Amino acid sequence: MDVCDKSCVPLSSKTLLYAMISGPSRFLSGTTAEAFLAELLRELRDDRASYSVKVLLLSPLCEYSTLLCPSDSVGEETALELMSVFAQCPPKSAQFRCHLLLALSSVLVCTSCVSSRSRASQDFLDLLLQISQDTGDLHGDGALHSLRVTACDCLRELEACSPGLLSQHVELLSGLRQRETFRLHQAFAGLHTLVLRNAVYQLTQEKGAGAEQLKALLGGNTSVAWEAAQDSGLMNNKDSAILSSLILGPMGSVPTLHTGPDCKELRSVLSSLLEESYLLTPFCQAALLHRLTEVVAMVPGVPPAIFRAQLLRLLGTSKVCLLHATLLMKCAFTDSLFSAEDEAFILKRLVVLSQHPLLSTPEKLFYMDCILHFPENRPINCGDGDESLPVLMTPRLASALVPTVFNDSATMLARLNLLCLVYLEEGEEVEGEEGEEGRGLAYLYEHLSSLLHIVKNGGNREIIVTFFRAAFLFLSYFYHMERYSNSLTEKLCELYLHHTHLAPHLISLADQTQDRLSESNWAVELLRELQRVITSAPLTQLTLQDLGWHLKMLARVAEEGKIPQRTTLSFLSGVITPSSSSLCVSGDWRLGNSILGVCRRLLVHPSLDSLLIPLADVLQHLACRYGDTDIQDHARLYYTLLTTLSREKLAGVLAQGAIEGGRQVKKRSLSSLMAESEGLTGVLTIHQMEKAIFSVVEVNSEPQTDKESVPNQNETQKCPDDVNTTLEVYRSQFNNPAFASEITLSYQLVHTEAHDSRFDQLFSIRLHFSLTDDHYEELSDISVPCLFRERPSPVVKLRLKPRRPHPTTLHASALLTTQDGLSWHAILPDIHVAFQQAFMPLPAPPAWGRGGKLNLFEGLWDEFCSENEDCATSLFCCQLKEAALISLVEKHFLPYLISDLSHKEEFKVLLFLPPQSHMLLKIRSEEDAVHFDIATDNWQLLPHLSSYLLTLTSSQEDTHS
Amino acid sequence: MSVRALWIISHEKGENVSIRFSRRFSTVEHRAKRLAGSSYVAVPEESTVLQLLLTELGLSNSDKSYVALRDDCLHHQRSPALELRVDGPGKGTLWPVLAISQGPLILACLSLVDVPPEPRPPLANLLSVSQGLTFLEGLQTFLLGSGSKPDGEGLVSRLAMLPSVLLQVCPLGTPLDVPVLGAPATPTMPTPAGNQKQPAWKTGLHRGRAVVNVALIETVRSMQYGNQSRQDLWDVFGTVTCKCEVEGVLPNVTVTLTLPPNGSPLQDILVHPCVTSLDSSILTASSVDNYDGSAFSGPYKFPFSPPLEPFRLCSYTSQVPVPPFLGSYQLKEEENQLRVLVTLKLHESVKNSFEYCEAHLPFFNRDQMGVVDMKVSSGQLDVSKEKNLLVWTLGQKFPRSREVTMEGRITFSGPAPGPTDPLCTELTAYLKLYFKVPDMTLSGCCVDQHSVQVYSSAKPRIVTSRELQSKEYFIWNSTGTAPVSSGQMML
Repeated sequence: MDVCDKSCVPLSSKTLLYAMISGPSRFLSGTTAEAFLAELLRELRDDRASYSVKVLLLSPLCEYSTLLCPSDSVGEETALELMSVFAQCPPKSAQFRCHLLLALSSVLVCTSCVSSRSRASQDFLDLLLQISQDTGDLHGDGALHSLRVTACDCLRELEACSPGLLSQHVELLSGLRQRETFRLHQAFAGLHTLVLRNAVYQLTQEKGAGAEQLKALLGGNTSVAWEAAQDSGLMNNKDSAILSSLILGPMGSVPTLHTGPDCKELRSVLSSLLEESYLLTPFCQAALLHRLTEVVAMVPGVPPAIFRAQLLRLLGTSKVCLLHATLLMKCAFTDSLFSAEDEAFILKRLVVLSQHPLLSTPEKLFYMDCILHFPENRPINCGDGDESLPVLMTPRLASALVPTVFNDSATMLARLNLLCLVYLEEGEEVEGEEGEEGRGLAYLYEHLSSLLHIVKNGGNREIIVTFFRAAFLFLSYFYHMERYSNSLTEKLCELYLHHTHLAPHLISLADQTQDRLSESNWAVELLRELQRVITSAPLTQLTLQDLGWHLKMLARVAEEGKIPQRTTLSFLSGVITPSSSSLCVSGDWRLGNSILGVCRRLLVHPSLDSLLIPLADVLQHLACRYGDTDIQDHARLYYTLLTTLSREKLAGVLAQGAIEGGRQVKKRSLSSLMAESEGLTGVLTIHQMEKAIFSVVEVNSEPQTDKESVPNQNETQKCPDDVNTTLEVYRSQFNNPAFASEITLSYQLVHTEAHDSRFDQLFSIRLHFSLTDDHYEELSDISVPCLFRERPSPVVKLRLKPRRPHPTTLHASALLTTQDGLSWHAILPDIHVAFQQAFMPLPAPPAWGRGGKLNLFEGLWDEFCSENEDCATSLFCCQLKEAALISLVEKHFLPYLISDLSHKEEFKVLLFLPPQSHMLLKIRSEEDAVHFDIATDNWQLLPHLSSYLLTLTSSQEDTHS
Repeated sequence: MSVRALWIISHEKGENVSIRFSRRFSTVEHRAKRLAGSSYVAVPEESTVLQLLLTELGLSNSDKSYVALRDDCLHHQRSPALELRVDGPGKGTLWPVLAISQGPLILACLSLVDVPPEPRPPLANLLSVSQGLTFLEGLQTFLLGSGSKPDGEGLVSRLAMLPSVLLQVCPLGTPLDVPVLGAPATPTMPTPAGNQKQPAWKTGLHRGRAVVNVALIETVRSMQYGNQSRQDLWDVFGTVTCKCEVEGVLPNVTVTLTLPPNGSPLQDILVHPCVTSLDSSILTASSVDNYDGSAFSGPYKFPFSPPLEPFRLCSYTSQVPVPPFLGSYQLKEEENQLRVLVTLKLHESVKNSFEYCEAHLPFFNRDQMGVVDMKVSSGQLDVSKEKNLLVWTLGQKFPRSREVTMEGRITFSGPAPGPTDPLCTELTAYLKLYFKVPDMTLSGCCVDQHSVQVYSSAKPRIVTSRELQSKEYFIWNSTGTAPVSSGQMML
């Protein structure tokens, strides 16, 4: 019944648990720890919930005790709650009871209730001690047994976190350990050892403690052992030293307890523990050996030889943790337990194990690490934690560990590191001789070359990375061996020419060798060589991709004050100045920016004086010829800086960018704009927006009426009387091609409903429109300074210049910047331009009155009715009452009305559509219907007009029916 | 000796990454905080750990050829312990993070540093590191089974078992044992058997017929170059695996390995922790020593008390004077074709009776094979489906002459390019041998059925077996440059 079935967890708890575990901080920001804890405790008390569910509910208490119980008092209360749950839980639910003990331990330890010996923690301790001794499991179903084991584990953890807690129970635990025969034996052995170790440690800290106190401790006579037990217990809780391992290598000092040679009782306890250690699992054996090593190290009265009987078994073991415990023992006791032969044997073992075919890679790496921190009996160096070779490590012995191309990356690098150390020492002894040792070094170099060869033949990323790490490792030991370091430089340059994409790796290698090997000049020499091969290769074979990498590389080269930059500059000018230069023509922004990156570094180069003219030439050429405006602008800026500022000022202006190193991408300063760097890509990249965050919505503005064309009340005489003259004057206006050629539509930018706070404030919005047909001229972009969700949205005027005034659809998109400085590209909903949106009032000269316009109307009408090429007449009829007709005219045609509104028998309407189309309407109510007589000089517009009239009249019918 | 947190992650070559299981041990964390003092770095949330871990393991951003954090040449890839550089408010370095990965699973844990944290102590000072490694490997075996392909459903069900398994083997962050597949969640109580203590690594008692099974498997590896400048290499290692079904709380069993007269001594012997005692002479011979001829050469006695499950009693290496197969492989580039000549000789000391024997000849960095015009003196030759590999099946027996040859030409005129390999370019090519020979060992080492002693009331049935198998048995084309494979070459 304890089978764990996640599906039966109540949904709320399950979701809560999942949210809690996958992101506790975010989870707790939504609810409070207090509320969640209360909920957990409530469910734990709930009788209806199954115990498998309750086991799950305990996991947050075990894993995030401090988050859920932020204070001691909360911990105390929670523990009391959990203990009462424990008390009410039937013994059958063994798993749940075990987990409850774990949760209780976690809560009490993490809230320091244990270290302050709170009430609940004392109760819990008593409970644990009682359970661990409970032998009443008569049914033999193992439930109580596993509970007892868990109780022991909890006791051990409490003692580990609060050393000395159980010091008064050493004898009790010793008895229990000896009594128990099964798995409990292991649990008690571990607990007993730890308590013993902590108790002995405490004795070492007590003034005047010696053999007598030790004896009392082991005999359970605690009143003698602890004169001030509580005090010492509390003292140790403030000091974390007791938590630390006491085996620290040659420099560590161990507190000692002076007992004299007679420690019979302790010896017998230790012997009994060691004798039975074989019965423990390797983990527990290793831990036990480690603790006992500490005890013996603290009590000089017990000779380390007490471990001797175990040594052969341990040295022959295949288990890494057991051999490790033995190494720690060697570290603690050196030649008082291990002879010189033992030492040689152990080292050989480690070499064998470091390349053993049956071991896993991490194990082998660990053994290699142990060789480099070998606990020697007579260490020469002071063991400051640095890697060093044991004296006994000869090149012959080490030859078993030479790196080969068949090794995995980590193994290969570990072996290379070890062998480098071996040959470094040898090399120091016989400098420059071609002996056995020279061969070893030569081998390592040959190995490096084979790796390089593999990279050259197209090795994958892992091999590439490994090779560069190997190269760095080799250099860090042998940079002073010019024979090898120069040859490596040469090979790297050749490699680079074949695989220019390795530029970042080479730059990293140069950077790191420069940083770490400050006394070496190798990095500068490498960069100098790279500059040479890049600039001397024939330009004709240069691909744009190679060029990109070359420019990255040259930018790095230009950071070196010691490297002359003339060849770099001639390379730049060779790339951009020829008139055939495809680069300049292409206007690739990235490449242009890379060139500027090189130039920027040259601007602060110490040899700038000698570079002045060629650099100015390059910049000027970029400023004038490069096919990208942004690059041109920057080049011009650099050019200006170069030619106008003094060197000091120039360095000052540019240095700021260098310090920032592009890391502060949000700061949009001049220098960050100028500093080409990886960190800027976020800002320089235009991100694609997945959803439209605003749309362009038409504003119902007043129909377009030019102020000047408002009908003049004074019917002036300026209007010619003659119809023909009127037409002539009217037509002459169109000699100016810009005359009445545009329609202006007003739109608003409106945030869409979908809320994304990143886009609440938008800046520098640039709207771009593209056509879907050829009825209109291309549109120019529109800039909007800003758009805030909370503020009224700005109105933009879209100026359309029709070639043919047909309805159309425009694609719209926007480039914009958000508050964090990122640029975005957004596709906006399409904009539909309806036929009627192209209507304009008659563009008659402003001085004309209605009479003149009527004249013109009649003139045009007559002309359109005569058989002309594009002219046509048409009739549209519909059923409309008079009132409806008047309202229709008022609503839709008022701006275009030529006749007076009061002349209800016939309305004359003139629709002008740019560039030069007219639609003339005479609207009359006849007996049967309303007649729209239409005359136009552009018959192609008739279908659009009739569909427009159809929608108008049908809607009018609807409203008036 | 404890771990602060444990993570089990699944991935498919760096994609579809997810944390399948995680556990933080708050009491260990409490100790870590006190031990580290001001240099304490808290364990970040799962997603952060995941991302940092993948970067350290070189699995993140697989679409990018260079990422500084991942590919920097300063990176200490050679250490078994990773460091995770945590950014943000809890800034600092988490160390040592141990990680092992096999197939789709990455298992990682953060070990407790129980020595002063500054300056950073060597791993060799932290028992929690070797314990952590052993623990992770035990978990891995539990989750994936030993070696064979992991099955998705089995993995899911075993992951679901982890909470109750951890209660047994690592309840509060201190590993006590590795989980054993099939072991009962709550071990059965032993019947009282006097004062004899049952080992903690023995999960129950055997009842029934006593059977002891001892299997000796030797594996031979070789690199043969057929070239004056490169010395041919081979080595042999053996493992003795036991399954003992014997009654009693702590029964005694002794297995003895013997060598033929003049046999070269067994070296580098490693034993299972259940071996009760060892003679010092058994451990003396080492493969990194000069063999002086006077070394102990058996019999090798291993007294032990067996666990219930099968286990590897011991392993050894041996230096045998000759390899089982001597081969020569010659390629000649002729216009558009490759002339191939292969000879394989079976050494007279090797039993001419195989379970299988195959030679594989892969070809890299060329087009697929077109015309394959080859003659073999024995066995059967096949071209793989992908047309980049010749498989020469030699069957169960070599001819009486103990020598087989293959000769002919291959044109690489196939429609598609074959696989690439940066190592095997031009005439650098190899032939790989796969074979298994039952009932023999190269070293001559054997476990005599009568030498297995079991001290128990019932007479047990004793089964012993031995076999020789190959692994990484390479014969390189002698007309091309072959890579160095061992340091023995330079001495």
